[in-house]
Amino acid sequence: MKGKTMKSPTKVIAIAAAFATVASLAACSTGASSDGKVELRVATFPPGADQAAYDAFAVQEKQFEDKHPDIDVIGVEYEWEGPTFTAQLAAGSLPDVFTVPFTDAKTLLENGQLGDVTDEITELGYADKFNPIILDAVTSSDGRLFGFPRQAYALGLQYNRELFEQAGLDPDAPPTTWDEVRAYAKQIAEKTGKAGYATMTQNNTGGWQLTAQAASRGGFLQSDDGTTSTIANDGVRETLQFFHDLRWEDDSMGDDFLLDWGSINQEFAAGNIGMYTSGSDLYTALVRDFSLDASVYGLTTIPMEAGGKVLGGGDIAVIPPSLDEATKDAAVKWIDWYYMQKLLNEDAAVADAKALADAGQAVGTPVLPVLDQATYEESLTWIEPYVNVPREQMAGFIEHIFEQTPVGEPKSRTQEIYALLDPIVQAVLTDENADIDALLAQADKDAQALIDG
Amino acid sequence: MTVLDERRAAPPQRPHPRPDTARRRDRSIRAWVRRGGLTTLLFALPMILVFSVYSWWPILQSLWMSFQKTNLITSQFVGLDNFVNVLSDPLLGRAVLNTAYFALLALVFGFPLPIFMAVLMSEVKRMKGLYSALAYLPVIVPPVVAVLLWRFFYSASPTGVFNTIIGWFGIPPQPWIQDATQAMPALVLEATWAAAGGSIIIYLAALLAVPPELYDAAEVDGAGIWRKVWHVTLPQLRGVIFIMLILQIIATAQVFLEPYLFTGGGPNNATVTVLLLIYRYAFENSLGGKYGEATALSVMLALFLAAASFLYFKATQKWSTD
Amino acid sequence: MSTTLKLPAVPRRRRRRASNPDLGTERGILSLHDRRRRPVRMGQLVSHAFLLVGLVVVGLGPLLWLAKAAVSTTQDTIQQPLALWPSGIDWANLSQAWFEVEVGKYFFNTVALAAGQWVIGLIVATSGAYVLSILRPAYARVLQAAVLATLFVPSVVLLVPLFITVARPAFGPSLLNTYLGVWLPTAANAFNILVVKRFFDSLPFEVFEAARTDGAGPFRMFWSIVLPMSRPIVGVVSVFIIIASLKDYLWPKLVLPDAAVQPLGVRLPNIQSQTELDVTLAALAISTIIPVVLFLIFQRVFLRGAGLGGAVKG
Repeated sequence: MKGKTMKSPTKVIAIAAAFATVASLAACSTGASSDGKVELRVATFPPGADQAAYDAFAVQEKQFEDKHPDIDVIGVEYEWEGPTFTAQLAAGSLPDVFTVPFTDAKTLLENGQLGDVTDEITELGYADKFNPIILDAVTSSDGRLFGFPRQAYALGLQYNRELFEQAGLDPDAPPTTWDEVRAYAKQIAEKTGKAGYATMTQNNTGGWQLTAQAASRGGFLQSDDGTTSTIANDGVRETLQFFHDLRWEDDSMGDDFLLDWGSINQEFAAGNIGMYTSGSDLYTALVRDFSLDASVYGLTTIPMEAGGKVLGGGDIAVIPPSLDEATKDAAVKWIDWYYMQKLLNEDAAVADAKALADAGQAVGTPVLPVLDQATYEESLTWIEPYVNVPREQMAGFIEHIFEQTPVGEPKSRTQEIYALLDPIVQAVLTDENADIDALLAQADKDAQALIDG
Repeated sequence: MTVLDERRAAPPQRPHPRPDTARRRDRSIRAWVRRGGLTTLLFALPMILVFSVYSWWPILQSLWMSFQKTNLITSQFVGLDNFVNVLSDPLLGRAVLNTAYFALLALVFGFPLPIFMAVLMSEVKRMKGLYSALAYLPVIVPPVVAVLLWRFFYSASPTGVFNTIIGWFGIPPQPWIQDATQAMPALVLEATWAAAGGSIIIYLAALLAVPPELYDAAEVDGAGIWRKVWHVTLPQLRGVIFIMLILQIIATAQVFLEPYLFTGGGPNNATVTVLLLIYRYAFENSLGGKYGEATALSVMLALFLAAASFLYFKATQKWSTD
Repeated sequence: MSTTLKLPAVPRRRRRRASNPDLGTERGILSLHDRRRRPVRMGQLVSHAFLLVGLVVVGLGPLLWLAKAAVSTTQDTIQQPLALWPSGIDWANLSQAWFEVEVGKYFFNTVALAAGQWVIGLIVATSGAYVLSILRPAYARVLQAAVLATLFVPSVVLLVPLFITVARPAFGPSLLNTYLGVWLPTAANAFNILVVKRFFDSLPFEVFEAARTDGAGPFRMFWSIVLPMSRPIVGVVSVFIIIASLKDYLWPKLVLPDAAVQPLGVRLPNIQSQTELDVTLAALAISTIIPVVLFLIFQRVFLRGAGLGGAVKG
């Protein structure tokens, strides 16, 4: 064949086209087949969840399908993954029902990546029952709703009871002011050699925790409407000064300042951290994923100063924007049944708690009410027999959380602004001479540019 | 699929004479198939398909995307906005400087050492195999393992591995990656450890190719060992050295894994690199809202790297033909 | 950018060397006379000592440390990281890493990923090189230029568009969370094709002419003549592909978001943040074992490939 090489271009193209056709036919073998039922792919658990969780889910799936024989529920492994979310959405590989954290909800709905469920929520009749601060996280600038808030937490002060005891502190009397936190931290560091206090610094969690601790001192990152950056405020400044003093004057923050949500939990579970701030529902993850010895766990509220508020968070059940009517209808039915009814309805709440407890999952971790407080407290009495977490070790939080005023996360460009703040927290913790005012002035300027951009 | 113009297709370089008449009229598909055209195409198909879908098309797409704002469901043309946004990002300058700093440190730590080691190893006659294997071992360790392991070594606690070692010499504990000034050198140290073995092996191979006659000739001229190194060995290696230099620049300009896994760009942005910034645009903070910015920055980085690659190609061409 | 770009003829030179292994007949900087001189001999001894100690400490040391840490308790590792002998051997770390952290599963994923990449990569590289070097249709030059041109485009520029191509192909299902999403894009590797092509170029052309005269078709020629003659380069390219696969992080991380299909290398950072230190270190040790064993078995091919790498790598 070497002897002959020239050929007509059109024929080359024709042959190539033939190949392409064959290849595309071969690739396009998947398609929808249906027996009249609506197939609904719903998020279940993150990969690696234990079999017991799936057994519990199978029971609930069956109950739902008995009630809605025209819907075929298919459980899909799911874990919120920022880096690949957009492509998964575009690729259609996301379930029809999934959950996203409050923090990202605003970005996603502004990007047009979530389905509008305003009419459905209105029709179900509990739109006005939601805690308004929480509902805010799923509300677009023109007042439309893009998801069902399904669970919420407030930030709390996590502490290690064992380290408290070793340092001669009473684990049942956790600190109630930031000055006490500082004194306790110093005592823990001196007596045990561990970090008395720590804070997250990486992957936007540094900004997140700075925001939370500044809010407790009455400092907020943005104006209420989210249009003006107010980062350079006294609450933020005092928080950074607090970090500076603990780190450089007391040396009570250990020696690792590159911590994110996972690694700080790991260090805490390993007994290397006395206190840090994180979500009030953290217990579940600490025990299940980080092998924390449950008996050393302690939780109390974050100290509040005048004008301070407690930062909340949580996640919402959402649907992709591209669902057809029948699937969307089924998706809303599932969300209502699987996520919402157990907050509203005694039978559903008991069934859910029983299924979880039977499967060895945590029941009774302190959360913030998604709906009004009365409904929440009533629901706790329904599930009381199934509660299996040491709530007495969380008494500081449980008894005082409702004295605190909750506040939502910054409205505009939340993650990007957290990302701006990470390096500032790191700077204060790794550079004794960091100029807090200059850093904040710059961050304020950059944040305003992001908001305006 | 690009040969659409017969006149532009140059004749093959290999000397297999072929009567000009045979390539004339015979243009039917059947004749083409009979001559083996289809079989040839069949062999070319894996390459053509894979490159079309996963190389040529994405390259074109990246050019197009850098002028678009897209969330993958809808896109709109935004002109040079993405480039403007990237260039006005306060982090960009930092990222470029950090990347350049990484490259510079990598040159200082990591460039002369492998040459020196290779010369030494090529002159000790015994145990060369053992030395090569030992030197190459770190290259074999999966980079993620190496980084996670070194992250532990770099523990700032007084009982950290490196702090214990420097303690033997009376040096006080260092913060390593927990400090904005020490973080980058620490990253480069690990990267050098992980890569030096590969360079050593390459220089060893190049040293083997130095013609022994040159040394004989130098000795006739009365050259001592150091003069032989200086006047024969190094000049003979200059081609490889230059190539390695450019390769290293290309590699370090794309450094990602070390800052991503060691420090996440911290402390205080001291280790944010260009590639880390691209990754953040596309996949992290903006949840895919900034694919356009990510590609725009990629295209700018690519232009720089293409220039470096071009130099590299010219170099390999020049030095391989003498 | 055209076919005037040439790769260095390194394979040939290397082969000459390989056929003539260092038997002491070759000389380096030092002459025989030099070697007899006393200071030089002292220098040699010092060099040996330096190389041996230096390379063992730097090259082998961290791995030996990892091996020890893998069977030590967390407390030992943290409090006395450099103690020569742990206070007790904790073999449970290894089984815990293998079963509970499921290193075994991710290990298997790693192997599956590398094997597929190897097969597909080799098919593309050898068949492509066969077309460019031996079959040489009229469009070969354009094809070669187009393939070569991709060498100038750093992989980073492809990150986002390639990700989109894989996540949402023009036709067919998404390749996210499938190994094809890693295998196919990594097979578009111009460097490997060119290395093989250079080698094919150096094969004696008369053999092919003779085979063709004997009526061997292109398939038979490829399978029975070209490939058997190309064992050395196939070995080298295999090493390139497999090592690249074991080392890759960012791409598989993006394409395989589902942890159940991730290879060990991608999974380790997550494991590390959720697992106790001693078990994490055991997991690190286990994931180092495959490549190190591969290296020890195929040491010659590895080192030959590495030596070749510098001259043509792009």
